[in-house]
Amino acid sequence: MLFSGRHNKRVIHSIRCSRSFRGFSTTRRAAHLANSSNSSDEELHHFSSLASSWWDVNGPQRILHKMNLLRMDFIYSNVRKHLVLNSPGISEEEGVYIPPYNPDLLPLEIRNQILEEQEAKRDEILLENKLNVLDVGCGGGILSESLARLNFIENVKGIDLSPDVLKAAELHKTKDPLLNSSKKLTYELMGIESVPKSDEYDIITMFEMLEHVNYPAQILDEALSRVKVGGWVFLSTINRDFISWFTTILMGEHVLRIVPVGTHSLDKYINSTEIIDWLNNNKDRSSRFSVLDVKGCVYLPAYGWKFTDCSNVGNYMMAIRRDI
Amino acid sequence: MFRSLSRQLATKASINTPSKLQDVVIIGGGPAGLSLLAALKSSNKTKHLKCTLVEGASLDPIRNFGVNPPPEYTNRVVSLTPKTIEYMRDKIGNWNFINQERVNFYDTIVAYDSQDNEARIKFDASTIGDSVLAAMCENLNIQSSLLERIEELNLNTMDPEQKSILYDNTKVVEITGPEVAAEHELPYIDPKEGEPDLDWPTVTLSNGESLQARLLVGADGFNSSVRKFSHIASRGWFYNRFGVVATVKLQYEDYRSLAWQRFLTTGPLAILPLTDNNATIVWSSTPELSELLVSVDDAIFPHLVNAAMALEETDLSYIYSLLKKNPSDMNAVEEIKWRMSRVDSSLVDEGYPLPLESVVPRSRARFPLKMAHADTYTAPRVALIGDAAHSIHPLAGQGLNMGQSDVASLVSALEDGVTRGLDIGSTLVLEQYTANAWPSNHVMLGICDKMHKIFSTDWPPIVFFRGFGIKSLNMLGSFKDVIVRALSGR
Ligand SMILES: Cc1cc2nc3c(=O)[nH]c(=O)nc-3n(C[C@H](O)[C@H](O)[C@H](O)COP(=O)(O)OP(=O)(O)OC[C@H]3O[C@@H](n4cnc5c(N)ncnc54)[C@H](O)[C@@H]3O)c2cc1C
Ligand SMILES: C[S@@+](CC[C@H](N)C(=O)[O-])C[C@H]1O[C@@H](n2cnc3c(N)ncnc32)[C@H](O)[C@@H]1O
Repeated sequence: MLFSGRHNKRVIHSIRCSRSFRGFSTTRRAAHLANSSNSSDEELHHFSSLASSWWDVNGPQRILHKMNLLRMDFIYSNVRKHLVLNSPGISEEEGVYIPPYNPDLLPLEIRNQILEEQEAKRDEILLENKLNVLDVGCGGGILSESLARLNFIENVKGIDLSPDVLKAAELHKTKDPLLNSSKKLTYELMGIESVPKSDEYDIITMFEMLEHVNYPAQILDEALSRVKVGGWVFLSTINRDFISWFTTILMGEHVLRIVPVGTHSLDKYINSTEIIDWLNNNKDRSSRFSVLDVKGCVYLPAYGWKFTDCSNVGNYMMAIRRDI
Repeated sequence: MFRSLSRQLATKASINTPSKLQDVVIIGGGPAGLSLLAALKSSNKTKHLKCTLVEGASLDPIRNFGVNPPPEYTNRVVSLTPKTIEYMRDKIGNWNFINQERVNFYDTIVAYDSQDNEARIKFDASTIGDSVLAAMCENLNIQSSLLERIEELNLNTMDPEQKSILYDNTKVVEITGPEVAAEHELPYIDPKEGEPDLDWPTVTLSNGESLQARLLVGADGFNSSVRKFSHIASRGWFYNRFGVVATVKLQYEDYRSLAWQRFLTTGPLAILPLTDNNATIVWSSTPELSELLVSVDDAIFPHLVNAAMALEETDLSYIYSLLKKNPSDMNAVEEIKWRMSRVDSSLVDEGYPLPLESVVPRSRARFPLKMAHADTYTAPRVALIGDAAHSIHPLAGQGLNMGQSDVASLVSALEDGVTRGLDIGSTLVLEQYTANAWPSNHVMLGICDKMHKIFSTDWPPIVFFRGFGIKSLNMLGSFKDVIVRALSGR
């Protein structure tokens, strides 16, 4: 479906018209505005339209909304896959049975039963040890909201440097009583470097944001330094856009200190291995972090996002874990 | 009933009385609505959702069926495919509560043409490696098992918020919602912090309560109020045909577990086996003939069915004409007996169903046949299932089964939505349901519509090709397999 920004304006317009005869809520809104701190009616309207356009799943951010489905799958499956099902020292009867070979080799019914048991155990572990999340560059909160709805997430803090999108995120949060009534989801205007180092997280996410920052490696480093033992950094970005910053600014200017900006040819395909190399080429980092999953993904217009076998082309997602 | 379905008048109700917030509100306690509720509450991923089901009629007959089933079969009997049964057993968990003494499995349908008795086709489950083709089961039996399953799930739920709420004898008075959602867009976000003006549809009930739903499900049958509220167009037509159903007794129990269908030019007539010597019939015919079929005497009706399964259409027309003059004319029975005695005796045993002995009094009912399909099954915060989404000609016995596969697709879309932390009323979640369920339903509706059209003619060229088609179909194993698979839901 192709909906443009123009289309979106029409929505706003039609509501404006309809509001003019809904005198009751207009007064209520005016009363509210009188005591709200230095935000003008126009400003609020601006945020509101920003929020509606950010959250119109058929609007300009549709691609991001569709991508969110895939990244939730990515986060969910990685977190679950690496749970330790049987803590050391547990007896065989108490623990969950983990066959020492591929369960697909077992008869279907037994296989299903074993896998079901394992899944139940994973649910149990997660519910007992709920995770806290820092969503860096949360934007309108597409990912933050999704994470905050999961039952094994304790809380989500979304941070961003744009006050506008954060307002939009706050406004949209009130549209879901589940999120609005619980204290699970909070937003704050700040960069990751301002998050106190003492605040450690089980999951730090940086989706579609590294390509917007000047010093991606530094930002990534800041994230790594706030991850709990056994915790995760999940990120996604675009190979081509990313390499221009990563190679030229980080690798060239800061790591190798030889290359001025613009030296690298932009038409060269960029791959995610650069982040991996960056992690591995530093003893301190490589001894504490492992890249456990990298997946390319591609947007197929009539279908949505799909994982690919190739993480070196186009968009990709990465899961970095702080070793236990 | 619906004072207004317009969204324009929306806001008043929601401002005056606070609505109760629910994750899922299901309108309609037919097989589709009850199945959805039981399936949602049986799934580990969705059982935490707060669900309310609203049914306009009383659920007492359904409850009574479980405690004290009526001695005779009720007349709304449906054919369940193995796929439906599997889903009920493994996912919904209501199959345990089915009264198994009132379920009859069969493995073969014999279909033949009134214009050409040689044109016969046997749909046999064994050709696709299955031992059953379908099971006959009363609607009430299914609904009663679902209700018991829902009660069981409620008993096992500790958190009172998570127990399902069922309202019966409760009508929907009005459904309102944000007006822009009608255009399938995200509604306006009101810039009032901390005072959410929810974009959730509000359902006002005849018991005075009002519910606001994250997801509103229309399981409210052909005239779905939810469908109208969401401005989803439904396309289709009436066939100018009526279905007549009845519970009948065969002269003795048929151990062959065969179902029979004869294509008359007025429409197909099916005899479907129940337990012992019971059977149910579905006879589709013209408006006039269907009126005749429900008005003739109980003593005559069984003979009429026997005749319609075997005699030529010219004979049948003559008999109808006698009965039109006098629906109690016992001469018609003599006419039938005499004409039946001349039917090729080699065919009588193997080629035709066992003769009917009687019809259960007051079990005959008549209803208009139609085909309809909604353009889509979803809108923001709305999903349609079952007959609210589609109505099909009963000739393939697929109506209820299609509703079951809707439930399966919708539940799996909602499970994915929950796993992904999405708002389950969002089109991001719901569009997966339409994408999975709509195309296959459309194919099924198309097959049955075409079959209806092909078989309701006596125009010789069509009859010739029809007969030829049936004969060759019978020999062409693989194409037939496709049909058997479709009919048995495989
Ligand atoms: C006479 C008859 C015979 C049939 N025979 C067969 C057959 O042999 N085989 C087969 O497969 N299918 C058959 N069908 C079709 C089959 O019964 C339907 O496909 C099936 O019942 C659909 O289930 P449903 O739950 O979607 O809708 P329904 O069974 O129509 O249920 C809808 C429910 O919603 C309730 N409702 C409607 N509006 C409101 C409202 N505003 N507020 C509250 N409640 C409301 C109604 O009271 C009803 O209980 C037959 C249908 C009929 C009518
Ligand atoms: C394309 S959006 C992605 C939003 C969100 N992560 C998502 O994928 O739904 C990029 C966001 O990153 C934010 N951003 C850019 N640089 C940032 C920085 N240094 N720190 C925090 N946020 C930043 C922008 O304000 C913008 O909201």
